[in-house]
Amino acid sequence: MSFRLLQRLRNQKSSLIFNSPKLFTHFYSSLSEPRYRNSPTPILKQSIFTSGHVFCCRNNGFSPLLCEIFNIPCWSISARLLSSQAVVEQSTSDGLTVEGIIANGWTIYNEDESDWKSHASAIAQSIHLIKKRLRWKKLIHRLEILSDQLNKPDLWNDPVHAGKISREHGSLMGKMKEVNAFEQELLEHIDMIKLAREENDSELESESQKGLLTMRKHIKEKELEALLAGEHDTSSCFIEVQAGAGGTESMDWASMVMQMYMKWAERRGFGVTVVDEMPGEMAGIKRATIRVHGEYAYGYAKSEVGAHRLVRISPFDSNKRRHTSFASVAVIPILGDGFSRVQINESDLRIERFRAGGPGGQHANTTESAVRITHIPTGVSASCQNERSQHQNKASAMAVLQSRLDQLEMQRQAEMNAEHTQSLTDINFGSQIRSYVLHPYRMVKDHRTDYEVSHPDSVLEGDLDGFILSFLSASLDKDEDADL
Amino acid sequence: MKWIFPRGCFSSILQPVLLHSNPGRPVSCSTVFSSHKPRIPLHLRPPTSRATVADLKKWHIWAKNLVSSVGSTFLDLDNGPDSTLLQRELTWLVQDAFENPNKVSFQNSNDDDSVVSLRACLDDLYEMWKQRIEERRPFQYVVGCEHWRDLVLSVEEGVLIPRPETEMIVDLVNDAVNENEELRNGLWADLGTGSGSLAIGIGRILGDLGKVIATDLSPVAVSVASYNVQRYDLQDKIAVKQGSWFEPLKNVEGELAGLVSNPPYIPSDHIAGLQAEVAKHEPRLALDGGANGMNDLLHLCSGAVFMLKPGGFVAFETNGETQSKFLVEHMDTETKGSFHNVKIISDFAGFQRYVTGYKAR
Repeated sequence: MSFRLLQRLRNQKSSLIFNSPKLFTHFYSSLSEPRYRNSPTPILKQSIFTSGHVFCCRNNGFSPLLCEIFNIPCWSISARLLSSQAVVEQSTSDGLTVEGIIANGWTIYNEDESDWKSHASAIAQSIHLIKKRLRWKKLIHRLEILSDQLNKPDLWNDPVHAGKISREHGSLMGKMKEVNAFEQELLEHIDMIKLAREENDSELESESQKGLLTMRKHIKEKELEALLAGEHDTSSCFIEVQAGAGGTESMDWASMVMQMYMKWAERRGFGVTVVDEMPGEMAGIKRATIRVHGEYAYGYAKSEVGAHRLVRISPFDSNKRRHTSFASVAVIPILGDGFSRVQINESDLRIERFRAGGPGGQHANTTESAVRITHIPTGVSASCQNERSQHQNKASAMAVLQSRLDQLEMQRQAEMNAEHTQSLTDINFGSQIRSYVLHPYRMVKDHRTDYEVSHPDSVLEGDLDGFILSFLSASLDKDEDADL
Repeated sequence: MKWIFPRGCFSSILQPVLLHSNPGRPVSCSTVFSSHKPRIPLHLRPPTSRATVADLKKWHIWAKNLVSSVGSTFLDLDNGPDSTLLQRELTWLVQDAFENPNKVSFQNSNDDDSVVSLRACLDDLYEMWKQRIEERRPFQYVVGCEHWRDLVLSVEEGVLIPRPETEMIVDLVNDAVNENEELRNGLWADLGTGSGSLAIGIGRILGDLGKVIATDLSPVAVSVASYNVQRYDLQDKIAVKQGSWFEPLKNVEGELAGLVSNPPYIPSDHIAGLQAEVAKHEPRLALDGGANGMNDLLHLCSGAVFMLKPGGFVAFETNGETQSKFLVEHMDTETKGSFHNVKIISDFAGFQRYVTGYKAR
């Protein structure tokens, strides 16, 4: 943006401030702060509505939440927001808001149509969707609670708790700022286009058009990202597949499911390592654990938790009868360093050599060095046999054990927190989530979303994204705008 | 047996070795200069061979079929590997042979004409797998390395392949040095080092001043151990010396902060009945412990009394309960009062595998 334009904009804005009753002189004082002068989004564009009485003058700081959103130093505003219902709405110079754009119902054309209203409308829709996915109202509410807690002077008496609070606050604040920045950018572009038209500046107009188009493309990706906004969604994870009852046929099915995830993970560019594998006697696997390494691995894979059902003519049945088999899938996030993990007491562990036979030591030359580690107080155990040394197998089994215990702890805490109970029962380990029918017709259908495809082979080759994304968006988008 | 050696400071024994400036030469400069040249492990060889995906697939199917044909034959015969284990080894062979092991998905590739870089030519791969299955050549000799703890150690015929059980001795040493700074920065000995595994494992947990002397009677072992020491850049910390047990340590009598050993402990008449990989391919020198398997353990135990300084730590690997108890008994009676805090510790399979203790102050 050229200096000339900035100047023009500023002139326009400053005339506005005196005419518009919506704008608060409190903000005016902050103009003397040099950083606002250079800010790409002049603070003047924001108007603050609150329900009922707005600010009352007190000396101890403005709501820290609002301060952070708008980069307002707390000391600069001697007002305190009383209502927790604060809604911050931004608008263009002539009062157009993002909700207003949606309400206008401008037709959305393809991206290659250079119609600014179409772009603006598409972007506004995306912002709306992102807000819905982030559960906007809850997010703001949670942020207020967290901000209050952060302001407590005794917070850091419990550093673990404090770390958790400040991390969650930081993460939610980041999301909120990002959405606000989108809103600001959208409205700014619109302001610019209007201004350019007034001034017959076609160069500026096309520049802003382009800006809108870039934004429109970019925000589509953000829609997807907002699907993966859960606390641990960015983590790597373990995927575990266990054969249901039914012998060889279901063990074969379990290994098909495992292959499906390995191929899916490879397609997505995740690193895949087999940690633990218990082969079936004849074919397939009794159970197996893979480690899927990469950003958002858990966020995607968590949609797969549950029982997967296969219907086919079993190749293991000499009478060629139709069989139904089940395989259960569990997904465990691998928590990053920032999260508090369950402390494991070494004396609580029992470490055994897996499949130990014979006297060992110099008697045996074996590349088999698997171990099983059992956490005695909980009975949770983990094993690994695919590493090439016992030391590495032990480390790997320990990592699985740690993540299992972390997940148990997370579940325990979630049960205490009523808000989360619902979502956890939604994805029960045992509940049947999807059917793969190979005979008498061919279809894969997700029972949660009713999403279905008629080509099971490609699904079994790892083409799962359709199922995953439809589940993620269904579970986040199903509530009507209640959370907005 | 006489344990009276002329006293000397341990720097004198290490100096000629540790001041070695040419890393290309083997460090074993003490008694006999070995002319043996260690074999380069497969995964470190240059990827100069090429093969098409189609040919690799053919090889892989052949190798897999060979694996399936084994079933549990070896397991039933002499407690050898079953097809599950051999299948896993085949995967590892592929990993070691490929230039880029992260892209080992040639089985799924539809592009049969594409060419892959390999560290061994296709003929060698056929030969390697044939040796593994038909001759029962240990997998570790086939690929020339053994993954042990977090190390990848070069091994070859003539050197005992380090066992998973022996890994725990490093943990036991780690516990001992964590409690005692003097041990952490002292002089250690690994007697009968073989591939150098224990010496390297310990060398990596000692403090800045800690040193290890690794000894072995076998010139091949000395050469391989030296190669491994260099691969981990520990030539300043570990001296590899050729000679029988304490022989190369004459200058450091009474100065050792710690002594570890995994000596041969298999009773002589058991050797022939061991699984083919061990009996037919591994060095008898590293396995045969005499009539009851205790010859070397007892010798080492008695010697340790003279070699360790007061408070020094000792750890031995044994054949199991009988030998461990025998050794503890020996320490209590024959070397009366020389050791304290003597313990038997079990391995992960539940065998009473290790004997540890401290030299009395």
